[in-house]
Amino acid sequence: MTIAGAHAGAMTGLRRLISGAMARDLTAFVLPGPSVARSMGLDLAGSHLRVVGTPRHASVLIVVGPLPAGLRDAAAVIYAQMPRPRAILALGAGDIAPLPDAHVSAPLTRAGLQSGLADLRRVIAAGAFRADTGEFTAPALEVRVEYTCPMHPEIVRDAPGDCPKCGMTLVPRETASNGHGGHDTPQEDTPSPAGHAHAGHADDAGGEGPYICPMHPEVVSDVPGKCPKCGMFLVTAEEVESHGHGHGDHGQGHGSKAQGAHMHGDPAAGSAQMHHDVPDEAHHGHEGDGDHCGHGEQADHAGHTGHAGHGDHSAAGLDGIEPHFMSMVELTEGQPRSSDGLQMEWIEAPFGPFFPGLPAGLHLNLTLDGDSVAGSEVRSLVGATELVDGPQMTAGDFVERLAAMMPLSPAAYRTLACAAVEEAAGVEPDHNARRGRAAAVERERIASHLGWLAEFGLQSGFLWLAARAGALQLAVGNADIDGIAAQAGAIRRLIRRVEAAPLMRMRLRRIARIGKDAPASGPVDRARGGGADARAGDPTLIALGFEMRVRDGGDALARLRLRCDEIAQSLDLIAAAGRIAVPRLPDVGRVSGEGAARIETPRGAASLSVKLVDGKVVEAELDTPSDVNIALVETVTAQQELGDALSAVASLDLSPWEVRG
Amino acid sequence: MSIVVVLVSLAAGAYVLAVIERWAVQGHLSLTGPAWAALALLGRESLLARKSDRLFFELGPVLLLVAGLMAVAVIPLAPGLIITDLATGALFLNAALAYVLVALIMAGWGPNGAYAMIAGWRFLGQFIAYAMLIVMPITAVAMRAESLSTVEIVASQAQLWNVLYQPMGFALFVVAAMGLAWLPPLDLPDAAGELAGGVEAEYTGVRLAVLRLARMVIILALAGATVTFYLGGWLGPWLPPWGWSAIKILAVAAAMLSVGRYMPRIREARYLALSWKLGISLALANIFVVGVIALVVPI
Repeated sequence: MTIAGAHAGAMTGLRRLISGAMARDLTAFVLPGPSVARSMGLDLAGSHLRVVGTPRHASVLIVVGPLPAGLRDAAAVIYAQMPRPRAILALGAGDIAPLPDAHVSAPLTRAGLQSGLADLRRVIAAGAFRADTGEFTAPALEVRVEYTCPMHPEIVRDAPGDCPKCGMTLVPRETASNGHGGHDTPQEDTPSPAGHAHAGHADDAGGEGPYICPMHPEVVSDVPGKCPKCGMFLVTAEEVESHGHGHGDHGQGHGSKAQGAHMHGDPAAGSAQMHHDVPDEAHHGHEGDGDHCGHGEQADHAGHTGHAGHGDHSAAGLDGIEPHFMSMVELTEGQPRSSDGLQMEWIEAPFGPFFPGLPAGLHLNLTLDGDSVAGSEVRSLVGATELVDGPQMTAGDFVERLAAMMPLSPAAYRTLACAAVEEAAGVEPDHNARRGRAAAVERERIASHLGWLAEFGLQSGFLWLAARAGALQLAVGNADIDGIAAQAGAIRRLIRRVEAAPLMRMRLRRIARIGKDAPASGPVDRARGGGADARAGDPTLIALGFEMRVRDGGDALARLRLRCDEIAQSLDLIAAAGRIAVPRLPDVGRVSGEGAARIETPRGAASLSVKLVDGKVVEAELDTPSDVNIALVETVTAQQELGDALSAVASLDLSPWEVRG
Repeated sequence: MSIVVVLVSLAAGAYVLAVIERWAVQGHLSLTGPAWAALALLGRESLLARKSDRLFFELGPVLLLVAGLMAVAVIPLAPGLIITDLATGALFLNAALAYVLVALIMAGWGPNGAYAMIAGWRFLGQFIAYAMLIVMPITAVAMRAESLSTVEIVASQAQLWNVLYQPMGFALFVVAAMGLAWLPPLDLPDAAGELAGGVEAEYTGVRLAVLRLARMVIILALAGATVTFYLGGWLGPWLPPWGWSAIKILAVAAAMLSVGRYMPRIREARYLALSWKLGISLALANIFVVGVIALVVPI
């Protein structure tokens, strides 16, 4: 028995021993992420495998639950980056293409995980090596070679030859496979050294623009003249561009050599897409197979497109053009300057959608000026699915669908859907049901905040916190009222220790500050000395003793402390409620009507309105807290050091599943 | 002869340290874990990153290992049990470990990936933070011993260990050593949650095994240096000298490995600011105080 991702080579005695070692020492990369796995009740930390943060160090890819379509291409890239032997364990995953078929599949339960891992160990011990191994190339990584003239970029040929315009020998370059994304325009992805502006694109730059100083980009004038700061003649934007890399009308014209692919065509399609999908292969996205000696048939052309990483390689990448000695002054002339005035080459580094320490499914594209963030672009790759699936969707199906759509807080969204449908149907849940539901949402709040603490611990290297909070999150997940009471002491001790941990204040204070006027939701809102909590208007919770918790500061530290406060309060609320009951929708029959509900999910207020016709949901509209908070990413990362920027994004506790806008 | 003994002890020490590291990182103790992990690494593909700078990529881990081994050469494990007792041993240690910076920048640059590259440059920034704080406490140690020979330095602590004689120097040296070995909470170049492994991110298979081994050797070298400079080296009652050396070095290494588990990683800017504004002032004060004590009370 062998696995498709086996390492090349015959099974010899030594290799048998090594295979045994591999079976014992499983290193796993988890999709969509360890946090999602914990939300689903899977205890990966207790399963004798090591969860690693980069596919390069993983031998097993564990796919937990159905993988959203928007993440599958990126998942294939992750698999392609894993060194062989490699295997896939799918837990209740369903369709995972373009990933190859899972080598072991099991149901999404704790028992399923254990049996799946046991099977996987057997498979690896027996078949880690085999003589003939199959290639796997992620569609997003497929490239082909085309030939272009160094002087006339518009000349692109499939075969080597001479330029019809100037007779120069065409030079090869790599580009995305056209098969991917149905995108037929060849990408301009050959980085060019400074001085070789992309002449072919310079005419995009528009007509006479405003005049700016080449040294002081902040000096802008409508008429020609001299710079008041340095006396240099002002130049048009076009002239500046031609010194740089000809970014056409791109608003913020980055100075990096790594621009081509992003500038031409839709960044969501074709080769540009892979930059968004490659989580840890920033500018060069190598792929696992092609480049290894021994499997290297594709070594010269497989792999990647687009960006070359650093300067040296980019110059070398354009055959036939000698990289000359480059003066820093010339090299950086006309490029944007960061606020500290220090001129550095800007690079674009993609983080996510599977980056450890960021919410799984979130894609963050950072433009880095040295190690500080000059620009950021964030989006959820999970993608919004339709709330109402077809005209024949019963209210019960709708509730299940909404709960399944939000794996990070299913109970809250189930409660929300029930409340909205019940209002539309004119059904009133009784007092006990209300208390039970409120407690179920509070339990999820505890679990969710603990999960956030675990993620923060992982991101910031506070591994004790990551392990402890993760374990408690699992223990709370589906615990009954006695289970919660049993864990309450441990949870309160954890909270006290988190707040008193050395370096904690230093790490988070003044990070990701958010002013009072920026729209924000949930703990992010309440951690700035005020804000709103949808629970404040709920008589059930007020009867249980709810009072809105608030923290001052508006920074990441305040958010951490507020989440800790809320955990403690939710423990009290659950104890007061005395029962936990995940809501079930009563049979609403064939009613018609409209209803709306609003509840405080762990991440903030979510509201839902539904329209029932004949007991079927025909229309629904959902507003989520992450939709509000994701807009804050750009503000909180601007001009931050990379580590601070990532802490800042993490402090917002975004759920990519909630992002619908 | 002693070179063989030292290298064998080094291998044993590195293994024990790997056990401790797994315990610190994953929370459960497994005596055989590192052996299986190492064996598994040897059987895995050792990928060469695309468009990599092959020379830097290959040399980085090796240079790191060489730097660590050179540093180990001047650590005495017992009287006579040292690879080479240089008259300038303390300085040599420092010179050897300077290559850690070069090796990490090469390893970061080599694979042509943004995460690794940023990690490599981050370590350059970190160097500015720790470098002075390695050298200046060593200066105070050498002042007391009136020698740069590591054997002499141990001998000078027969009356009173340096950890009590110059506690401030000890504290500064340990923190700086943790910075040099990029141990949490000063693990900026491989920051798991920030750079997905940083300089280690692109290494797989045998190359990764070399990188990890080199890291262990460097941690052992630094723990050995801490013991030599501050904890009386092989000195101690009852046990044989090598026994004391082994216990002390492993205890220091274990402490350095596990302390970061209980706190978040420091921010780079704060680390630099603290090292320069506070650390260097304290190190200067330490040199001054040790100088006065050495003149007034000769022990």
